[in-house]
Amino acid sequence: MSPDRGIKETVVFSPSLAMNPLLIPEAYIIGAQPLCSQLVGLSQGQKKLCQLYQDHMQYIGEGAKTGIRECQYQFRHRRWNCSTVDNSSVFGRVMQIGSRETAFTYAISAAGVVNAVSRACREGELSSCGCSRAARPKDLPRDWLWGGCGDNLNYGYRFSKEFVDAREREKSYAKGSFESARLMMNLHNNEAGRRTVSDLAHVSCKCHGVSGSCSLKTCWLQLADFRKVGETLKEKYDSAASMKLNSRGKLVQRDSKFNPPTSHDLVYIESSPDYCLSNQSTGSLGTVGRLCNKTSEGMDGCELMCCGRGYDQYKAQIVERCHCKFHWCCYVKCKRCTKTVDQFVCK
Amino acid sequence: MYTFVSFERLTGREPLVFLPAPFSNEPPTGKVHLKQCEQMTLARRQKRLCRREPGLAETLRESVRLSLLECRYQFRNERWNCSLDGRGSLLKRGFKETAFLLAVSSAALSHALAKACSSGRMERCTCDDSPGIQHREAWQWGVCGDNLKYSTKFLKKFLGQKRVSKDLRAQIDSHNINVGIRAVKSGLKTTCKCHGVSGSCAVRTCWKQLSPFHDTGRLLKFRYDTALRVLSVTNAATGETELAGPRRHGQSHRSTDLVFLEDSPSFCRPSRYSPGTAGRSCAKDTSCQSLCCGRGYNTAMHLTTLSCHCQVRWCCHVECQTCVREEEVYTCKNT
Repeated sequence: MSPDRGIKETVVFSPSLAMNPLLIPEAYIIGAQPLCSQLVGLSQGQKKLCQLYQDHMQYIGEGAKTGIRECQYQFRHRRWNCSTVDNSSVFGRVMQIGSRETAFTYAISAAGVVNAVSRACREGELSSCGCSRAARPKDLPRDWLWGGCGDNLNYGYRFSKEFVDAREREKSYAKGSFESARLMMNLHNNEAGRRTVSDLAHVSCKCHGVSGSCSLKTCWLQLADFRKVGETLKEKYDSAASMKLNSRGKLVQRDSKFNPPTSHDLVYIESSPDYCLSNQSTGSLGTVGRLCNKTSEGMDGCELMCCGRGYDQYKAQIVERCHCKFHWCCYVKCKRCTKTVDQFVCK
Repeated sequence: MYTFVSFERLTGREPLVFLPAPFSNEPPTGKVHLKQCEQMTLARRQKRLCRREPGLAETLRESVRLSLLECRYQFRNERWNCSLDGRGSLLKRGFKETAFLLAVSSAALSHALAKACSSGRMERCTCDDSPGIQHREAWQWGVCGDNLKYSTKFLKKFLGQKRVSKDLRAQIDSHNINVGIRAVKSGLKTTCKCHGVSGSCAVRTCWKQLSPFHDTGRLLKFRYDTALRVLSVTNAATGETELAGPRRHGQSHRSTDLVFLEDSPSFCRPSRYSPGTAGRSCAKDTSCQSLCCGRGYNTAMHLTTLSCHCQVRWCCHVECQTCVREEEVYTCKNT
């Protein structure tokens, strides 16, 4: 088991996070479980939970990694592409601004943790939980069996809620201050992420009757593919609601003529910074050097991605697999071909 | 004052006004049309033609209305939605949008003229009298084909297309105007009606009819999507300048393609060419992605009234109740 697998990314929902592998020899002894006090970026409450649930930490790390990967996939065509910065914080100072992008990252990280912990429960990796004990859904036909080993969504949800929100809940800020608004926003977005995973979980069945027929069918609860969660959250990102603090210290909509956000929607309190140019104070990396698509009219087209600065054209060599052949038995062997393509890079 | 006139060189400085209502039912009488001709910004030659023909003023106004409605309909899901803001600056440059505007305006004018002729609103032309149509029978049965021949001839005089200067922009404009006129021509269909014994086709009356302007608009929008970029090239053989561009399918551009000089801006943010896409209404699953340029959208509930539970009452009107329905309306965000 590689020593840095579960330790590489700990919690992304804390603003400062260690991305470097933990290189202490004790880690090997305890079976590569991180020592909670060594992990950077956990709050006090989270450290306590870490000590109680040592074996969960690896999966929290994996869940956060999944979340980051999905974020980078969903935003690959936009100016801010969820790129990670290699210092003490994962995404840099961009997360300090309460923008829509921040809302998305918090939601997808919380969703990633639910996903990972639920799966780990089903696979029996965690001692405190097992297969899903969810009640049989009411609309299931009577002669189908309910059983199997479903993902333990319930446990994953509750654990993620306790762990991820622990950081926010242990602080208390003055009513009406910016930090309290940010706290409420983070809590709301975490909940939105978890609820998305919960909503997209579906019943999955397997036929195992006589010679594979569906005379006998067993069904269980299964979590949706994380890509779907990412897509749903991206839609929520597009329709996120802009909020402000009212006089009583609660978050309300900035413009009351629009629909109020539900607990499944994302909220944000500040508008996004300009991602076109690199700016140290906002943490934006700019779009210089990004690849753009000359023929596209969308956000990944050269006009919008390069923010009107223009682009350079290069010829690049791409190596890819070609002339694949199936050999008996049973592998596929491919040759490698190099292809010259035009690439467009923003100025 | 209307934007489209003085076609031979749109300066972009013409002031814009709201459009008048469509035709009133009475034919133009007396000297009303003279005043209308004076009010429009026309060149001297065009004013003279306008004065000579009483129905022309109304037809010109009708064509402006038609072109604006069609343009707005075809571009309702695009970032540039044919708004009047920024139209002046847009017409000064050689974008794809300018090409489309010229084509649709000339097509609307040609269409409106042909229809006006066949509706009897013009004094100097009547129904289509091209050979090959059994026009005598057509007269007997009360059919009147749209007179596109007169419309095309009149447009050539009105727009002064005989002398095209060597200026690149003028050549492009003239080419695009011709594309518009050709689009209307291609929509001319022969329609026949059978009225023989018990409805058989032993006796048939045929006439030429223009397709509805929506079809022409759709064709021009397709031409806009496939428009080609050109530049000026001197023909070595004849020594004249002509339009040429990168070759596609063996020739640089056909007489039915729209051509343009420069790439359009993105129209996402407010600029002098357009008011931007903030506040535009979009459809959540389809157009919000591209219209809002990545800024996202706001959702609001909107009360719409519509007619429902309609019943036919004898005889012969329909009575409907009005139902109020709430539906979600999506508008693009500002930032």
